[in-house]
Amino acid sequence: MKQLALIGLLLLLAGCDALPRDPADTSKRIESSRRFSVGLVDPDLRTDARLSALIRNIEQRTGARAEWRPGSGEALLTQLKAGELDLALGRLSRESPWTSEVALGPPLETSGSREEPIELKAAMRNGENRWIMTVERASRAISAEARAQ
Amino acid sequence: MRDNGLPPELNESLNKAVRLEYWNIFWTLTIIVTMGLVLGQSETMKTAWVEDTLGLVPPIMFLIAAHMERRGTPSERFPYGFDRVNGLGFFVAAVALTAVGALLLYNAAIALARAEHATVGSIVILGQDIWLGWLMIAAQLYALVPPLIIGRKELPLAEQLNDKLLHTDALMNKANWLTGAAGLAGVIGLGLGWWWADSLAAALISLDVLNDGIKALRSSTAELVDGTPRALSSASLSEDALRLRDRLRQEFPDATVRLRETGRLIRAEVHDTLPPAEVRHPRHYWPGDKKRAWRVAQVSFIPPTEAEQSRLIPKATKQAAKR
Repeated sequence: MKQLALIGLLLLLAGCDALPRDPADTSKRIESSRRFSVGLVDPDLRTDARLSALIRNIEQRTGARAEWRPGSGEALLTQLKAGELDLALGRLSRESPWTSEVALGPPLETSGSREEPIELKAAMRNGENRWIMTVERASRAISAEARAQ
Repeated sequence: MRDNGLPPELNESLNKAVRLEYWNIFWTLTIIVTMGLVLGQSETMKTAWVEDTLGLVPPIMFLIAAHMERRGTPSERFPYGFDRVNGLGFFVAAVALTAVGALLLYNAAIALARAEHATVGSIVILGQDIWLGWLMIAAQLYALVPPLIIGRKELPLAEQLNDKLLHTDALMNKANWLTGAAGLAGVIGLGLGWWWADSLAAALISLDVLNDGIKALRSSTAELVDGTPRALSSASLSEDALRLRDRLRQEFPDATVRLRETGRLIRAEVHDTLPPAEVRHPRHYWPGDKKRAWRVAQVSFIPPTEAEQSRLIPKATKQAAKR
């Protein structure tokens, strides 16, 4: 039993960075192509300082460059869901029906009323857990609110 | 001695079982909280969590039944006492298991068919970003331990008490490492990027829940519709009961012997024969180990109709005269 626990602990330490992997290999593709695609759900956000900081942080972490894609709103989120886009950025209500359709990062900034807060956040394709974790780390690095989540 | 309620020699074992089931509930609650904290979107985790929560049903039903069996004195409204509450509890536990098992299997199958990719993100602990999957694995490992120990302790008590509810719970707990292994494989598979591993593990766990439920349902309905007593762990007939039936048939060859079970007690009816001349306690008929003779609570004789009697009695007196 003791040995088993020790082996488990070693595996855990060794595996901490090996897991998770992406079912559709988003992280690997980004690493080898040195590019990731980004879209803005809300085009007004083009000049938002937080989003620029987030993109810079992800670029540093991955060594890849962001490629901006045209489009907005649900069309963009649908592309994200289908795996045609790596990252979507925008303001989403906490009750948004997209919460289960795509994976959402921690909120960078919250606005709106207390009952129905609107959160500025990144959205990724569901299940691409390594890529999701990269964006979550970047979100926490640039926003105190994301860190507090 | 009362012919209803708990046989006095079982008091000590029942006390032990009651204490054990309180511990069972306590440890199950700690598992439910631990697993609940790290659920995430994983289908495996949700299924395992529901299974752990369902694990509360048998001990709770057992405690209610044990309380009523011991404290509930027969009254005008309930002249037979409450020894069948255990059977009712067993039935409720079986329905819960079957229904939830079917629901979980449906969910897992839908997730597989839709090729849903489960998202498991990260959280910050002590300034470190940690993949939630690692915490899920830790929670699953923790959830493996208490049921193994409790199941092992429940089994001998269930056999002493001839308690189907307790026995089913013991077997479920003992088999828990199987679902635990499936759960671990599901989360590790998910981490390796095999999106299907999560739903597949969930489907396996729900199949196990469904299987437990159906087995318990077969056995508990048999008791509630006065079927011949069933074995503790399966839907086949109880060997004790079969021996008792043979014993009664031997002494009353022309009679029809009917056995049924009320909770842990066996009740026998011997039809179309006259009762023996001397007065006997039901335990007199127990064929095996006398320590288990408490199992027979009642042996009743139902004589044939008067017309048939007049046919039978001359035969009997003739036989007596021959001797």
